[in-house]
Amino acid sequence: MYRYDEFDHAFVEARVNQFSDQVARRLSGEISEDAFKPLRLMNGVYLQLHAYMLRVAIPYGTLNSRQMRKLAHIARTYDRGYGHFTTRQNIQYNWPALSDMPAILKELAEVEMHAIQTSGNCIRNVTADHFAGAAADEIADPRPYAEILRQWSSVHPEFSFLPRKFKIAVTGSERDRAAIQVHDIGLQLKKNDQGELGFAVWIGGGQGRTPILAKKIRDFLPEADLLSYTTAIMRVYNLHGRRDNKYKARIKILVHETGVEQLSAEIEAEWAHLKDGELKLPGADIAAINAYFAPPALAPRAEGWGELAAWKKSDPGFAEWVGRNVAPHRHPDYAMVTISLKPIGGIPGDASADQMDAVARLAEEFAHDEIRVTHEQNLVLPHVALADLEPLYRALLTDGLATANAGLITDIIACPGLDYCALANARSIPVAQEISNRFGDPKRQAEIGDLKIKISGCINACGHHHVGHIGILGVEKKGAELYQISLGGSGDEHASIGQITGRGFEPGELTDAIETIVDTYLANRTGAAETFIECYRRIGAGPFKAALYNSESEAA
Amino acid sequence: MTVIWTQNGIVENDPWVSDVTGADAPKLLPLAEALEHSQDNAPFGVVLQPADDARALAPILESVAIVALTFPAFSDGRGFSQAMLLRQRLGYTGELRAVGTVLLDQVPLMLRTGFDSFEVHHAPTIERLVEKRLPGIDLHYQPAADKTDAGTGYSWRRTAILNG
Amino acid sequence: MKTTQTKTKVLTANRLTDGISVWLGASGEWTTSLKDAFLARHEDAVAAIEAAGQTALADNRVVDVNVIEIEETESGPRPYRLRERIRADGPTIDYAPASAARVSQAA
Repeated sequence: MYRYDEFDHAFVEARVNQFSDQVARRLSGEISEDAFKPLRLMNGVYLQLHAYMLRVAIPYGTLNSRQMRKLAHIARTYDRGYGHFTTRQNIQYNWPALSDMPAILKELAEVEMHAIQTSGNCIRNVTADHFAGAAADEIADPRPYAEILRQWSSVHPEFSFLPRKFKIAVTGSERDRAAIQVHDIGLQLKKNDQGELGFAVWIGGGQGRTPILAKKIRDFLPEADLLSYTTAIMRVYNLHGRRDNKYKARIKILVHETGVEQLSAEIEAEWAHLKDGELKLPGADIAAINAYFAPPALAPRAEGWGELAAWKKSDPGFAEWVGRNVAPHRHPDYAMVTISLKPIGGIPGDASADQMDAVARLAEEFAHDEIRVTHEQNLVLPHVALADLEPLYRALLTDGLATANAGLITDIIACPGLDYCALANARSIPVAQEISNRFGDPKRQAEIGDLKIKISGCINACGHHHVGHIGILGVEKKGAELYQISLGGSGDEHASIGQITGRGFEPGELTDAIETIVDTYLANRTGAAETFIECYRRIGAGPFKAALYNSESEAA
Repeated sequence: MTVIWTQNGIVENDPWVSDVTGADAPKLLPLAEALEHSQDNAPFGVVLQPADDARALAPILESVAIVALTFPAFSDGRGFSQAMLLRQRLGYTGELRAVGTVLLDQVPLMLRTGFDSFEVHHAPTIERLVEKRLPGIDLHYQPAADKTDAGTGYSWRRTAILNG
Repeated sequence: MKTTQTKTKVLTANRLTDGISVWLGASGEWTTSLKDAFLARHEDAVAAIEAAGQTALADNRVVDVNVIEIEETESGPRPYRLRERIRADGPTIDYAPASAARVSQAA
């Protein structure tokens, strides 16, 4: 993984000092809250319902054990012993004091971490495929490019006061695990006919109040042009994005209102001035950054094949966990392991300080010191020998981290909702917990198969409900919580936006409604091989709506 | 209180300051008027609003004494891109002033995008600027319109020229 | 001055230094318990707490100052909005149980 050089260390130290000075000026009353707010947001500090919240950047979701231990230490020392991993591969602390922020940032800097641009109307943490550098289907590792973008966008003088926040995601496979079509810029690494590396460029995707899928504006952008082309997009957006209405300020609205052909022509015209300038990436620099992400030396461990088969036979629980949470690695003797942060009835994405320490220890022992955070709010150990899966599983079991539900109905994405968030209209976590408890039986989950439920407590859609196979959106109606259900969303390479089923459901009816939807799927699928989303796409919303609402229209 | 600040300190009796009145005081002209007055002999300045296309100044830049870019609110960052276009696309080398809401913490970014004078109203900000205690970072991850040295490591990095 | 009957109101905010939710108490102090909040039962009292809030905001002691409506119940003031009830009582979920136990032991 990337390691800071002297320049990076000095930069982050300067940034910590800069923010510490801003905090000191605020605490002394030299600057008002109005003036401070954009400054604290630029460093990931929000004011939530009960306290401040600090969002720490985990660039493209990659961590080593030393960093994970520091996150645990911060949770214990400055917070209440836990943290929340987010859909943008970051971690949030819910209870830190403003006066402690300088100390927390100093501690983070010791392990090459920061909170720069985790909020505010700037270029946010660049996200990437959580299986990067390990997946069998990968064309190239997206993280070096995400790292180049991270560096280039840090405290960017031209693009720190954009019309609205700006999210970039990079994937290195055809199979899109980074949801690039719902990002402001989505980059898909690919090779052209000459075998050269570059990107398909998508712009204007996003969720929130107006969910829109991204449009492809370039089929192949040579890798050397990454920063100049991104600059052209950013400049056109900064100058022309709407600033009169924050709900219409994302680049997706500019794309929609200008038209993708015209906007893409403006971007190309701007880029013509920039492409041969100082932002052109020298091959040596790309190679140097790539070198940091060279895969660990993986020794042959062929003995794992036989052992794995034997273990699976003797322990059904282990076999189930391997079936759900273990994915093929490009090295046949190794695997990628998903550590579920979705225990049955638990809080999606939360991890205690002790669990973080446990993951750090296991990453060192079994996984070449590498940890990933997924946008589905789980953790991943990307390089585990098959021969180590059984002892790893035993260790995860003792720490409550071996839930075998990756990709299943209880692997729910949920935003913090009204339990914490100042923007929320309804709670998300209790909804996730109740659904998880209802469907928690392993046999039942396995029978239902792949099904993504995503829950947001307000229209900002941090819980990605628009791209949930089943999406749940909490709203406030007449002072009470009400939940709208949408069906058919998807955030992968076959991205789609879910469609609302009809009237919303009160908290007491919601889990029953989800069960009705699931039962409708089970009754209509052609067989266990047809997943929920495939079935939905085949039969449409009709049967689901009928099952949800027909009884009441008959009663009426 | 309104002062004009540059890296050389406070500018006394600046003729372009926006609250100076009187028949002799030269005025900063809006874009449309500036384009009409481009044949005048008297020096004139231009003040652009965020929605104005800075590139429209190309034919008259030679005769412009000063360009002011307006920040109606700290959150409106269009002026940063206008400044980059003026400096890098049009090659403008004259005075480039930030007017409107100029926050202390934005001044270092404005300097990087090519501004060299600032109309400031906020007393604590003026105090810090006078003391030259700018809250900027001397290490940059990207080239901009300011004069910098190459940074160590990669082509996109720059370092500030200290005391330059 | 004319005083009309309105819904009882309290003044709430978050402390500047640590962001913790607070309510304005009867003697002008900021309390971390809604139970100890001063209940403004008529317009003059509401005007007084609003003024106190503006002063505290200007003095940089608190942020996000709001007057909220509550119902007076036997067990104490109860905000009408769920959001404010959650601010007063904390998250409705049992977060980080192991750590919470440690904190209460330490206290």
